[in-house]
Order: sequence, then structure tokens, then C-alpha cells
Amino acid sequence: MEKRMLSIKPLFLLITANLLGMLIVIMNKDIQSENIVYLCALMCLINVIAYLVINLCALGDGYLFIIISMLSSIGIIMQTRINSDNGIRQMMLYLAGVFCYFITIIVYKVFHKYWNRLTLVYFGVSILSFILTALLGAVKNGSKNWIIIGGISIQPSEFIRILFVLSLAAVLTNGKFKKNKDQVEDKKMKRLRLGIVAIIAYINAFCLLLQREWGIAVLFFAIYLSYLFIYGDSKLFFSANIFAALSAGFIGVKFMSHIQVRVSTWLDPFADATGKGYQILQSMFAISAGGFAGSGIGHGAPYFIPIVSSDFIFSAICEEMGVLGGIAVLLLYFVLVYRGFKIALSSTNDFNKAVSIGLSVMLGVQTFIIVGGVVKLIPLTGITLPFISYGGSSMITTFIALGILQAISSMKGEVTDEIE
Amino acid sequence: MQEIISKILTYIFVIIIYLFIYVIIRMIFLDIHTMYRKKSGGFADAYLKLINLRQDLDFPVDESYEVSDNEVIGRGKKCDISIADRYLSTKHSRIFKSSGKFYLEDLESTNGTYLNGEELTDKAVELLDGDKITVGRINFLFVLPSKGE
Repeated sequence: MEKRMLSIKPLFLLITANLLGMLIVIMNKDIQSENIVYLCALMCLINVIAYLVINLCALGDGYLFIIISMLSSIGIIMQTRINSDNGIRQMMLYLAGVFCYFITIIVYKVFHKYWNRLTLVYFGVSILSFILTALLGAVKNGSKNWIIIGGISIQPSEFIRILFVLSLAAVLTNGKFKKNKDQVEDKKMKRLRLGIVAIIAYINAFCLLLQREWGIAVLFFAIYLSYLFIYGDSKLFFSANIFAALSAGFIGVKFMSHIQVRVSTWLDPFADATGKGYQILQSMFAISAGGFAGSGIGHGAPYFIPIVSSDFIFSAICEEMGVLGGIAVLLLYFVLVYRGFKIALSSTNDFNKAVSIGLSVMLGVQTFIIVGGVVKLIPLTGITLPFISYGGSSMITTFIALGILQAISSMKGEVTDEIE
Repeated sequence: MQEIISKILTYIFVIIIYLFIYVIIRMIFLDIHTMYRKKSGGFADAYLKLINLRQDLDFPVDESYEVSDNEVIGRGKKCDISIADRYLSTKHSRIFKSSGKFYLEDLESTNGTYLNGEELTDKAVELLDGDKITVGRINFLFVLPSKGE
């Protein structure tokens, strides 16, 4: 049997990083609230407990959670440094996220038989929430994508990401299309299935475009394309989709003003340095001010960057911890996505495999889109940096997504496809 | 002064993150290493290696199976190497060790056991490293690591 060796080294490093980071922040900033110390202690405690629970109860992959915790800790430290109230809220969100993480593991494991049959439910809920957002939505940062319920604002498009992955995975691995006489898929069925996948993907992406959720629309499309790449075997269909995406992008650039702005500021931010190019220029100034080793936490000037706590948090990290710190963050994401693919590869159930591929791609592409955006590698689209950006919906969603991955990794070998 | 201290602490913070990444990657590497050793070549003794591409088969089968003293191959759940191939008999064939040598024996299976393409008769045949064993739709390579490796 597999021997489980419990190493506390990473846990030790995580706690040290937590405490050290908090120390630096508190040293450089008078924080009125004492809660922050208690919350930090509570967070360390939760880190320890969760790590031990996952490793001792054999809840699957032992690396996911600790990497997430490290990323969240970096996020919390930066949030507290920028705005201590946000920091406290972010810590609470982290605790809530961990709670959701474990709930997701349990729920996903208990009902593991039903998840692949709920395609219509996933799709229906997505569409319903699009409609609700359109009717009740509030406008924030130029996008109408928030619903405010009892003082709490939530962003439904964040939660739809998981539903989207689940619905595509459910269609792609649906047994109905597979089991005909010879157990071999015939071509027509395969085409029908890819057609349904395409319809779901395009409807979702279209609704997101209506909401002006550029970033998430691109993210959805990337997930859809990677599914096509993995499950479809028609090169023609794949290229047709890429062509469709490119032409949609081209039409967007030509005729829609807000996309035009994004692209033109990406190509030449100095053309309107005090206006439209301000964001991206400030972000780049911040990164260059930080240099290789950074200005030290608490001694940069991230306030100059607009919406620094959510979209531009990566620039703030680069400014204060240097490019080295930024690369460390990217490496953490890299390992996380790698673990996701590893889980997908070792999963023995088709649906679970598809879900874990989708979620890993989601995490990787999301990081690429926003980090690429703030360093001006690609046009900037507003999307959150998973686990680090300030924002409840995004935090909880990513925790749920990773909870599903953790659940899938723990079901390895237990759940296989049924064989007659 | 404070700026210098917090700068140094920030460096330490970043170094800790790198250490963390190093530890994690090292742990992952060790995991893969042990798994890899378990999968191929790491067997104490002989093992069977699957030659077929797994995606060509519509039933689950492992990449490799360890062979120790006595292994029964078949469709039955109680077999040591139980494979849900329809072309296998419940107890199809047996590999056993006798005075340091491995032998393959057919257990009166319906579709027969083939060693290097030749059907086995009722006599057990000695297995050598690199022999090809065919049962049902599955082809195995018999690997016998030479001692002292």
C-alpha cells in the first residue's frame, strides 16, 4: 500500500511566511484594530488543522491546499498592507473559503454519482443568473455584473465559471452519446455532442459579452477551446472556432468602443497617458519601480494604481516584493495547475477527468489573462487573480473549484466507470 | 532605518516563499519517483508489462503487474491478475515460480494462452526475459530483471 508520509516542512514555512508578512505589515502601518492579530492567529491555526485533516484523513492530493493557503496568505498580506479593512475582510473570506472548500469536498464526494447528469440544471442556472443580473444588476467599474442582496454584493459571473465547466464536462462525457452497438462512438454522435458543447459555450460567452465581462468571456472561450482540443478530433471544427473567435475579436475592436479602448491602450498607452492609458501605465511604473528585489513591503506606492486591490494586485506585489516575488507567485500558480492536471490524469472516472481538466485550465488561463494584462503582454481585461485579489465572489468560487479538484483527487481508484 | 529593516524582512519573506516552492516541488518529485519505481523496473522480482495501447481496450487494465510466486490470470474477481476481458476464461492461465525459474501454464482456458505466438499445450513452459504472453486480447511482455542490477 501507499505509504503516507507527513511532512510538516511546508506547513512550517507557510506559518513562518504568514507571521513574518504580518509583522512587516504591522511594523509599517498603524493598524487600529486588534482583530487583525487574532485573525492572523486563527488563520495559522486553520492552516495547521486543514493541512493535518487533509493529509491524515487521506483526502487526496496533499499539495493543493497548502499552495492555496500560501497564495491566500500573500494576498491577505498585500491587502492588509494596502487597506487594513480590506485585509480583515479578506482574512474572513479566506476562512469562509476554507469552510466552503471542505463542504465542497464532502458534497462532491457524497453525491458523486449525480454530478454528470445535471447538464440542464447547470445550464439553466447559468442562464437564470444571467437574466437576474440583467434585471437586478448594479453597475460597478463599467460592467453591469453585480447583484446586491441585503447589502452583500455578489458577482454571479464568477460562480457561473464552475457551472460552465461542469456543464461542458457533463455533455462531453455523457454516456448516451457513447453507448451504441459497438461501444465505439460513431461520428454523427460525436458531432452532435461537440455541437451541443459549442452551443452552450457560445450562449454563455454571448451573455457575458452582453454584460461586458470581457475577461471571463475570454476565459470561457479558452476553456471551451481546450475541451475541443482534448475531446474533439476534427481539426476543421477547431480551426473554425478559432476563426470565429478571431473574427468576433476583430469585429469587437472595429465597432465596440470599450474594446477599442482596451486594445489601443495596450498598443500605445502613452497616447493618452493621463486618461485611458493611466491604469496600465501606473501598473508598469509600479513594476519598474520595484525592480528586481522590490521596495520592501510597506515602502512602495501602490496607491497610484487604480483598482489596485483587485485587478492590479500583481503590480503591487511586483512593486513591493520585486520581480522575484512576482515570479514566486507565478511559480505557485504553476505548481497548482500542474497538480490539477496530475489529478486529471490519475482520475479513473471520465466525468471527473473532464471536470478537473476544465478547472485546471480555468485557473491557469485566468492567471495568464490578468497577469498578462497588467504587464501589458495582452490587452487588459478585468478579471481577478485567483486567491490574491480582493473580492468575495472570486475567492469563494476559486475555493469551491479547488475543493472539487481535491474531492476528485481523493476519489482516485474508488470510483471507476462501470463496466458491464 | 525602518525602511531598511522592512526591506530585509521582505527579502526574507520572498526567500521563504521560494523555499516553500522548493520543498513542495521536491516532495512532488519524490512522490513521482517512488510511483515511477513502483510502476516499472522497481519491482523486486519479475513483472508483466502491457504491450497493447490501453486506449484500444474497452476494459481497464494496468500498465504492469507484479509477478511473484504464483499468479493466476483470468476474468474472475479472485484471480491475482483479474482483468475484465470477455475473451478471458474465469481462470485463464497461471505463472508460477519453481526453483528460481518462472513457468507459464494454461488452465484449460477456452481461447488458449500463447507464448511468443505459439499456443501452450498442457505442459508448463519456462518463461524468459522478453517473452510475449498473449491471453484474450491482451499482450504482455514478461520482464525478468537480471540479478545484481
